[in-house]
Amino acid sequence: MDVQQLIKEQVGNNPVALYMKGTPQFPQCGFSATAVQILKACGVPEFFSVNVLENPEIRNGIKDFANWPTIPQLYVRGEFVGGSDIMREMYQDGELQKLLAGIAEKV
Amino acid sequence: MMQPEQVQKIIADGLPCEHLQVDGDGHHFEATIVSAEFAGRNRIQRQQRVNAVLRAYFDSGELHALSMKTHSPEEWMASRG
Repeated sequence: MDVQQLIKEQVGNNPVALYMKGTPQFPQCGFSATAVQILKACGVPEFFSVNVLENPEIRNGIKDFANWPTIPQLYVRGEFVGGSDIMREMYQDGELQKLLAGIAEKV
Repeated sequence: MMQPEQVQKIIADGLPCEHLQVDGDGHHFEATIVSAEFAGRNRIQRQQRVNAVLRAYFDSGELHALSMKTHSPEEWMASRG
């Protein structure tokens, strides 16, 4: 399958998708660790994630998918939300909690 | 390895900034960017604007990570009271 198509399906089929370096249990980059912690703080401890270090095709493809050159990348309900800076700002403003509210209750 | 001054110059050359400050250790950088171009754009659009300027350096791997705080001039004035 084409990698862009694969990513499209992943973000479409999962309410929360995080493309990161390492895993939620063992992040291998400080920014990815921050992203995981923020999701947990929003009441979303479990979510779909892709370790781009083990998926070089996705690591390259995800940068074109959102026209965004860095990892991590968060998608909620199929929409690109941002990287760790934007996640932190949205969390501090309470926006991310609102965005994730419906999802957090189900988990 | 890139120096903060180098990253600062690349951003300044590609984006008109009212205020620009870049710090970093050669691997991870932090930038505070104030530009009139940010007015009316959301966070993603602002970072995409800056990332476009730095694209070649991200692609080559020279630049690994850049944290950004992006403000329009009005937001910047307001945040400084």
